Amino acid sequence: MYAMERQVSGLKRPSRRASKGLITVGVALVILLVASGLLAPSSLSQGAVLGMLPFASVLAVVGLGQMLVVQQGGIDLSVPGAVSLAIVIVSRIPNGDNALLVPAILLAFGFAAAAGLLNGFLVGRLGLNAIIATLGTNALLFAAVLGISGGSPTTTTRLLQSVAGGLSFGVPNSVFFAAAVAVVVILLVKKTVAGRRFEAIGANPVAARATGLRVRVHQMAAYVWGQMLYCIAGILLAGITAQPTAFQGNTYLIPAVAVVVLGGTSLLGGRGFPLATVVAAVFLSQLDQFNLAVGVPYAVRTLVQAAALAVGVALYTIDWSRVRARFGSSTRSTKPKPTPSPA
Amino acid sequence: MNNQTYAKAEDPVVLSVPTLSLGDITKTYAGVVALENVSFDVLPGEVHALLGENGAGKSTLMNVASGTVQPDSGTIRVGGESIEVLSPALAAASGIAIVHQHPAVLPDMTVLENLQVALPASAFAGGSDATASVEQIAQRMLAEVGLTAHLRDRVESLTVAQKHLLEIAKALALKPKILVLDEPTAPLGQDSVDLLFARVRTAVAEGTSVIYITHRMAEVRQLATRVTVLRDGRFRGTADVAKITDDELLALIVGRKLESTFPPKHQPTGDEPINFVLDGFTAAGFADVNASTTRGQILGVAGVVGNGQSELLRALAGLEAFTGRATVGDRAVTPGELLHRAGYMPADRHREGLMMTLTVQENAAVSALSKFKKFLFLSSPREVSEVGSTLDSLNVKAPAMDAVVSSLSGGNQQKVVMARALLSEPLIVVADEPTQGVDVGARLEIYKILRQVSASGIPVIIASSDAKELEGLCDQVIVMSRGHAVDLIVGDDITEERIVRAAVSSTTHTVEVPTVRTQRPLAGTKVRSEGFGRFVQGDYAPTVLLVGIIVLLGAFIFSQNARYLSAFNIYSVLTLVAALGFIALGQTIALIIGGIDLSVGPLAGFLVVVGSFFFNDDKPLSIVALGLVLMFVIAIATGFVNGALIRFGKFTAIAATLTLYIGLQGLSFLLRDSPDGYIGAGMTAVMTTKVGPVPIAFIVLVVVAVALEFALRRSRWGRRLRATGSSEESARRIGVNINRTVVLAYMLTSIFAFLGAIMLMVQIGVGDPAQGVSYTLTSITAVVLGGTSLLGGRGTFIGTLFGSILLIQVLNATTFLGLSQMWQYIFQGVLILAAAVLYSVARSRKKKLEALG
Repeated sequence: MYAMERQVSGLKRPSRRASKGLITVGVALVILLVASGLLAPSSLSQGAVLGMLPFASVLAVVGLGQMLVVQQGGIDLSVPGAVSLAIVIVSRIPNGDNALLVPAILLAFGFAAAAGLLNGFLVGRLGLNAIIATLGTNALLFAAVLGISGGSPTTTTRLLQSVAGGLSFGVPNSVFFAAAVAVVVILLVKKTVAGRRFEAIGANPVAARATGLRVRVHQMAAYVWGQMLYCIAGILLAGITAQPTAFQGNTYLIPAVAVVVLGGTSLLGGRGFPLATVVAAVFLSQLDQFNLAVGVPYAVRTLVQAAALAVGVALYTIDWSRVRARFGSSTRSTKPKPTPSPA
Repeated sequence: MNNQTYAKAEDPVVLSVPTLSLGDITKTYAGVVALENVSFDVLPGEVHALLGENGAGKSTLMNVASGTVQPDSGTIRVGGESIEVLSPALAAASGIAIVHQHPAVLPDMTVLENLQVALPASAFAGGSDATASVEQIAQRMLAEVGLTAHLRDRVESLTVAQKHLLEIAKALALKPKILVLDEPTAPLGQDSVDLLFARVRTAVAEGTSVIYITHRMAEVRQLATRVTVLRDGRFRGTADVAKITDDELLALIVGRKLESTFPPKHQPTGDEPINFVLDGFTAAGFADVNASTTRGQILGVAGVVGNGQSELLRALAGLEAFTGRATVGDRAVTPGELLHRAGYMPADRHREGLMMTLTVQENAAVSALSKFKKFLFLSSPREVSEVGSTLDSLNVKAPAMDAVVSSLSGGNQQKVVMARALLSEPLIVVADEPTQGVDVGARLEIYKILRQVSASGIPVIIASSDAKELEGLCDQVIVMSRGHAVDLIVGDDITEERIVRAAVSSTTHTVEVPTVRTQRPLAGTKVRSEGFGRFVQGDYAPTVLLVGIIVLLGAFIFSQNARYLSAFNIYSVLTLVAALGFIALGQTIALIIGGIDLSVGPLAGFLVVVGSFFFNDDKPLSIVALGLVLMFVIAIATGFVNGALIRFGKFTAIAATLTLYIGLQGLSFLLRDSPDGYIGAGMTAVMTTKVGPVPIAFIVLVVVAVALEFALRRSRWGRRLRATGSSEESARRIGVNINRTVVLAYMLTSIFAFLGAIMLMVQIGVGDPAQGVSYTLTSITAVVLGGTSLLGGRGTFIGTLFGSILLIQVLNATTFLGLSQMWQYIFQGVLILAAAVLYSVARSRKKKLEALG
């Protein structure tokens, strides 16, 4: 309709390129694997890898959920409660009875949906701060955890143990589940109309509103999807650990945020990097494995995580070209232009 | 184009030394000339009007005069003395005060506090009347500009006009030698304008020189003695107002250099259908706009920036509800329909136009995505080819389709916005300042595209403050002034001169909607209800609510279990409160500046671990003292790192403090991998001293909280803290050092975590690396319960104190009521959500009221 004379030299069409986040964590993972091979071969033994992968899978799934929330400029502190609740429901309610497993899983998803809607309503609709809203929801989720379990751990059903904790073709089943989740998230976010709108809203809600997108609906959806993924992670975890505690989810809050940031997703929202998030989860898990094999105390692992987070944030948020310009030449603008997206 | 400049004024040199004299000022921005050899004098006791179109260089010139912009060349003389570099501080010291178009006020603070934070203490010294209180002097400042707001009203609740009056009051209170007023009457009603003019005349009579920037010739005649006109950054002339006619002035203003050519206009054949009609179109910001265009015509909206044009376009884009009718084609459209079907090109591309972190393709495709759907998923080839051909047809220049849109030039960014609008197959195209920040070459292309769109039958509406642009592009032009359509120009009558004349000679005034607050209360009851309203929205309403809940809950538990009020229980509860309370007081500081500190919990835990190496029974006093100093230093260092990462590393507060959170936890485990190092009995005895059932530590906490509260309200530090959290931009403009304020705030937060850690040490009794972490979230909960806003700018330490008490009381209650641990979580969750919802609803209702006003 608006066809004008086509320019001879059109705009270059997009080419497939890996994101900066994926390259960064990918390279970091390769370096880590090489270092593991040289310095701590035992951390790459079959047993060690098979022990690491299930937990990496769980972290990847939790991280993907957190990523969706972070994409909308939020943060989800209800991860511990959500993961713990899923664990408790699928282990306590069947209490060893395989037949009750499926209803229990459905119930877990029901609770997850309710928690997601609550978060979404509080943040998307009432405009509460994400920290406060999810903090409150987290407390309520833990109330449910204690209400159901009484605080004592239960042994998981055998069926769940074999499905979530078993091996197929020599690979832990949880890896397949995590891969499936990752594929679904990538397809949904990158390849559907809703997913593309979702990213656009996260990048700039004001502009998205001006183009007529339903900002609140997508912001709410982020919390609901997040809860669904935490629920899946919790169910996997219940199958992997023989006797999960009622507070198992607590250990996932900080690493989940860390893998999102390491993957290159800005805490201010916008584009998400699901694949990089998954790789970052493997990286952090292998880092733990490596430290364990080298024999450094737990403390060092934590410090390395902190350093990785700081480096990760600095890598993506500091405008390095400006820093170079500033220290490279003497000409300095008195009033630096505001960067479009300091994260 | 005639570049010659001429001065019509009588030679003023003989009379007196100019208060301010700018000579041959030149300023360029990235190669674009903003000012070229402009000279400008202000004499004592005169009102000197500065006239010119948007972008003529008036604001840049005044920024030079106030020291915020440094010229590339030229001389500045203040009171006859040559000044090398004029800084904002030097300008202020020389008595130059500027009232900006956008008031630098702090929404979360009261009128009085806004005056106090912006003015030096000497402004409240009283002058002739030494006995006058600060309130009385402030009240006098308001009365002088006719601002009727109460001193304790939050500025957030004032109308735009009242905020402007406050800004003017601030400038006048400095008793400036030179007062710069940048379009001061734009938001004011007739009464306020008269009062302002009277006030300006008084100031002039007292010897103040006034520079008055305006677009309105009527005001020039009413107020000014001399007038200087700028155009395209060049001096056009200075004249005595009495000796120049309107036509001569207009001739100086118009005649901008033509920067671009225009595509040919629509040639009517006479039988085109009418395709766009506005009938009594009204929304917030403008009223009763009527228009009617036929196929192929472009409708322009003219006027000085801020006279309702943007609001009109936003309503046409479906972003505001409207009354009256808008007809596209042959049927009326609703706001909802327009929201989805109008192709809107906002003036502010960064904020509202583009998703700056996404690619060119993603931005262009975002409103047409459903076109590219194949079954469930998007067809990438189809999207690339269709979006690509549109981008190509608009001649967008970018490295590639997947280049980040922020890397493009302004012109190409605007073309991406257009591509998005066109791809969505819009009902109408609404463009607000479509060529703002666009290079000359791209302008013509944008004009051509708009013409083609219009020719294809889609109504095109363009707002521009550039009259020349509308002259070249439009077939009909509505001229807006103060929200009214003051002229409708059609066809060959559309000239820059006619448009500017209509805009600048209009004498309409903004219809000032009287709000409840501006009306004087008639009866005593009204005063009380106002005071009550102020209280409900004030900082202490949550505190009163908390006290009520604490008392009721306490009474209930006591009725169930008499041991609840035993000395032992009171003592243990208050000891727990002391630890949480100190940490939460620190957290309050971080939240008031609009940040958050997630690292307080691990910091407190780490300090306990550090302390467990020093505070043992067998250690001499000197070692204990050393430990105390070490803990203090660690705390300060942590706060400094937090603040530095946020201010200088550009980390978000969450990212920075989360890094420290993990790091400090690691350090705790590094020092002790399991609980060890028992805290000495001597230390414990000191810290657990009590008066009756009340621990000394709790009394200290209360005293500290009260002192902090007092400092927050009354000290310069407190006001700066809140100013920074309320609006960083405004705070910077009134002279608050943001970096220092924020870094110091985080250091203080850490110092309070240190105090909390001392309490914690005694409670835990051993260096346990796993303890303390949970205090991060508990402290945030306590602060939120107390009513401190996470948005920054407002908060209360007293509220935090009571929030901490309630939180501990609830946890303690479950034991006395025989409830399980589950109830602890239920109470916590419900409390925090209820508080957050309640407080935010109470505040948003006020916002709505304001929006209606």
